[in-house]
Amino acid sequence: MWSPYKNRLKRDLERWQSNGWVSGEGRAAILADVESSGREFGLAPALGILASVLFGFAAISFVAAHWEDMPRLGRLLLLLATIWAGYGAAGWLVVRGHPLLADAAILFSSGMFGASIMLISQMYNISGNPSDGVLMWWIGTLFAGAMLRSNPALAFAMVLVCTWSFFETSEKNGVHWAFLIGWALVTAAFIWQRWRPGLHLSALALAMFVISLGYQLSGGHQHGLVAVIGGLAAAAAVAMEKLEPDLDAKLDHIAAPLFAYALAVAFAGLFARQFLVVPPLVDLIALAAIALVLILAAIAYALSTGNRGALWIGYIGFSAEILTLYGVTVGSILGTSLFFLVAAIIVSFLAYVALRLARQSAGRGRPA
Amino acid sequence: MISTQKLVWPLLALVAIAQSAALFDMVYARDRLLKSGQEVTLAVKPLDPRDIFRGDYVTLGYDISTLTKSTTETDPDFTGFSVGAPAYVTLASGPDGKWAETHVGSRYPSKVAPGEAVIKGRVKQVWQDGNNAVTNVIVRYGIETYFIPEGTGRALEDKVRSHEVKAIVAVAADGTAALKGLIVDGERHEDPPLL
Repeated sequence: MWSPYKNRLKRDLERWQSNGWVSGEGRAAILADVESSGREFGLAPALGILASVLFGFAAISFVAAHWEDMPRLGRLLLLLATIWAGYGAAGWLVVRGHPLLADAAILFSSGMFGASIMLISQMYNISGNPSDGVLMWWIGTLFAGAMLRSNPALAFAMVLVCTWSFFETSEKNGVHWAFLIGWALVTAAFIWQRWRPGLHLSALALAMFVISLGYQLSGGHQHGLVAVIGGLAAAAAVAMEKLEPDLDAKLDHIAAPLFAYALAVAFAGLFARQFLVVPPLVDLIALAAIALVLILAAIAYALSTGNRGALWIGYIGFSAEILTLYGVTVGSILGTSLFFLVAAIIVSFLAYVALRLARQSAGRGRPA
Repeated sequence: MISTQKLVWPLLALVAIAQSAALFDMVYARDRLLKSGQEVTLAVKPLDPRDIFRGDYVTLGYDISTLTKSTTETDPDFTGFSVGAPAYVTLASGPDGKWAETHVGSRYPSKVAPGEAVIKGRVKQVWQDGNNAVTNVIVRYGIETYFIPEGTGRALEDKVRSHEVKAIVAVAADGTAALKGLIVDGERHEDPPLL
């Protein structure tokens, strides 16, 4: 576990001990448990990962320099040797009991694999599709990550899938549906690994893909569809949390982050539908009212379930909505004063909701 | 990272061999295409001179990069051409040794005369010329980039401006094209095959 949790626990334990709820031995035991069970992400593995990234950039620059003093075959063999050296180092580090440093070595080799693809493309003047090279790169990296069960390599594979999709989308008009295949494969590997940060990465990538649909489908006018998809996903997350709490617990409480990402997608769709498409004023007012009600509902729900991520997205969404509405309506028929009146009513309502929620939780004997 | 130490070395070897094999396959396929593909030479036309020599590669433009209605007989309205779709251009060598297109289609042509070569591209852009309703299609064949050693771009740029430059292209039976090298004023510049 990360240190903010530890620091907070230390403070809380002191208070609990002074209240007499926790004994001195109990406190020491809890802290010792947190120290030992928490997989501390040490400085050495972190630096190892950063070094791998730097090595990767060095290799790509090396390829880009098109250094002629070394024959082409020599350059290719050099890069192949670095791939093998990386995997060799990984094996050595695992045997010596440094699995996190081994992950850095695997990441290094994945980077060298990509540099080799670039070098071959350059040697043979392959320009056609940069995306084909990235396709090969992510497949190779996913294979390495899955075989060696290396989370950083899998995360890198997801980044490459997104890069691949970005290239493909810029090559042709239209949605790059094959992204979903790559996404599903890497996500399956994350699930197999039971790696939660990876699933966050998956959710982020999918959210961006769904949002991009609004800009690509039917000439970029499908933001409403994006909002509906996000809304349905958010509703599904709420239903899971409320109706199937056992299933949610079995799935490691996946509903709460799912709700936050779905909320971000829904709001991105609603925002683009209101302000990028430029609907008639009546439609804009109706959409803005819907958006504000939904955001307030989401904030209320996030408060009641202690969903911090969703709460932040709600706050950010609320601020963005109000600020943009202000910018759009100032000087128009609606007028500035009416705008502030509406905003004030909404904020008062929010305060009222917050007060009620605080009273509710206080009534249940929980500090808000 | 895997925790079962017994499997570490075999799995690492498997991954290293698989990635090396994929790279080798890439080299092998390209080398074969360069050796066995039909050789075609195409005149290089400079695009915007300032824009051509970005960084350490040269972007080459060809006559067949921009196809208009008048240059094709059998697919006159470019039906079936959409962005991202394949385009097949049949090339024939003229009496002066210049290769020019004889047919353009969205599918592989059913009839290819001996000596002709079919090159496959991908449609990059389609637009209508407003004044005379001519459909223009920009096609990329994967032979538009020529990598050069760092810092030599300026010299090559001058050559393309003041001399005749042709590209040597190898075309496989299925239409895949590979850039072999350049001919500058009749002098061949070509890297020897790797394998």
